[in-house]
Amino acid sequence: MSTYIVRRLLGAIPLLLVITFISYALMGLAPGGPTAILTREAHAMPPAARAHLIALLGLDRPWYVQYFYWLGALVHGSLGTSYVDGRPVLEKILEKLPVTLGLIVFSQVLTLLIAIPTGVIAAVRRNSLFDHVSTIVAFLAYGFPVFWLGLIFIDVFALHLRWLPAAGYASLGHEHDPLDHLRHLILPAVTLAIVSLASWIRYQRGAMLDVLGEPYVRTARSKGLSERVVIFRHALRNALIPTLTLLGLSLPSLVGGAYFLEYVFSIPGMGYLGLTAVFQRDYPTVMGITLLSAVLVVLGNLFADVAYAAADPRVRYD
Amino acid sequence: MKLVLKRFLRERSAVAGAIVLAIVVAAALFGPLVVPYSPIAISHALLGHPLAPSLIHPFGTDLLGRDELARALIGARVSLTIGFTAMIVGIVVGTLYGAISGAAGGAVDALMMRVVDALLSFPTFFLIITVEALTDTFTLAVVVLVIGLLSWMGVARLVRGEILSLRERDFVEAARALGVGPARLLLRHLIPNALAPVVVAATLAVGDNILTEAGLSFLGLGVQVPTPSWGNMLQDALLPAAQSAPWLILAPGLLIVVTLLAFNLVGEGIRVAFDRSIAQDVGAAAAATAEEAA
Repeated sequence: MSTYIVRRLLGAIPLLLVITFISYALMGLAPGGPTAILTREAHAMPPAARAHLIALLGLDRPWYVQYFYWLGALVHGSLGTSYVDGRPVLEKILEKLPVTLGLIVFSQVLTLLIAIPTGVIAAVRRNSLFDHVSTIVAFLAYGFPVFWLGLIFIDVFALHLRWLPAAGYASLGHEHDPLDHLRHLILPAVTLAIVSLASWIRYQRGAMLDVLGEPYVRTARSKGLSERVVIFRHALRNALIPTLTLLGLSLPSLVGGAYFLEYVFSIPGMGYLGLTAVFQRDYPTVMGITLLSAVLVVLGNLFADVAYAAADPRVRYD
Repeated sequence: MKLVLKRFLRERSAVAGAIVLAIVVAAALFGPLVVPYSPIAISHALLGHPLAPSLIHPFGTDLLGRDELARALIGARVSLTIGFTAMIVGIVVGTLYGAISGAAGGAVDALMMRVVDALLSFPTFFLIITVEALTDTFTLAVVVLVIGLLSWMGVARLVRGEILSLRERDFVEAARALGVGPARLLLRHLIPNALAPVVVAATLAVGDNILTEAGLSFLGLGVQVPTPSWGNMLQDALLPAAQSAPWLILAPGLLIVVTLLAFNLVGEGIRVAFDRSIAQDVGAAAAATAEEAA
């Protein structure tokens, strides 16, 4: 197993190279560039000073040359410094990482807690009212624009009912209180969970239906085992395995959704940092976020595959 | 094809979806001709005092005193146009890319698929935002291109898979033996036979693109005001002044939800229709062979 993990991690390197190269190309080929905004805003910056700044930041070189400088620094563990405040990008990102991870894990746990029982019940009671209603609700929820649902929740639960905070990550005087952080994450996490519920419910229902059609389930029933034992001890355990795969597959959209919601709820996580950096043309920060998002997805995929092998004794990677 | 249509019409939810879509499209086409308000002209009398939905303004008015229904109808034109044209861009790029990759095989195929893997294992929406923010031009064409050019990967994978299995079939072998060149083989023989799943993907893509457009415009990176789109109408809803006017959040959002649901139901219906008619073809063929044997 450990050789498999090492091989997968090595295999991820070309993937990360492709992603960072594409991102760099996009930024290099985009008109304007980071200094355009400086001259536009200040008006006062003389051309000589601008040229000096461009040389100082290394922006006078072609973008593909800059890319290799960036890679070189990366090998030495540096993601560069932010154009905006001069702080190391890695430091800025690591500061925000726990916030984003917290949001992702929180919403994923909620999703699983709702989707797995719903999917299983819908499969066991196939074509029942519950099955139809859950399918319709899931289909509807899939079409919710994530920010729109967020706006509605802010309106209802924060502004009108005043149950939960509308934005931010900490109340005044509670900057290091995990429970207060959690309270701030409830609305965005629920929003994200609802939007991703659809595919999980449908997937879990399908997996359970497949397993219920297996001969060994019929055998278990014909042995006279109670329905409860058949479903929980025999069927459910195997029906959960495909769900683990979805954990890996859904990760990119989950990360993307979390980023967007951070922006809507003004939560200072990686997405908020990334979007602000995009607007400010803070290239080193954008690249850092891009790379770390990709790493996050790669690690998540790997985790899902390893969990898959751990859950299913027939799956062996080596 | 007739068989597929017959199967499709038997799926009640898919037909419902198709009817809803027809209504939305008809409203986008003809609605603006019927509604007697301008979607753009600002009413100074109503500035900052949005009116709740009433008989005169069924969707109410927005913060600048514009009729929300008139804006939603023009917004439907804009959002549907973007969703549809971006779909065409994405489908064309994805189909060609996947077909070339599948037909080429070997190292070329491996490299091309690595690129797809890389793009798929990435929160693409972040990439779309980055590109939009960097290009700094928000004409309709740019928004369509950016969405289309970053949403073809799933289709490419789908088509490649189809091509790989088609490549080994007898009719392709026959065409090759007749001296058909690679380009013609791809365009006339391989791609047309791989289109069934693409039609499903295309239907779903229009909905997804509308959602992407909404997200982009919401961030101010898509369709620019005063031109309304469902996404940038929600942008207004974020302003503090909109808090007393919940209809500004509800109307465009619900339109997106209903339209997306309709596209998904239709897509699902087409999928089922194709699957069943293929199953029936195979069944009929098997029955024919059995008869012959008898």
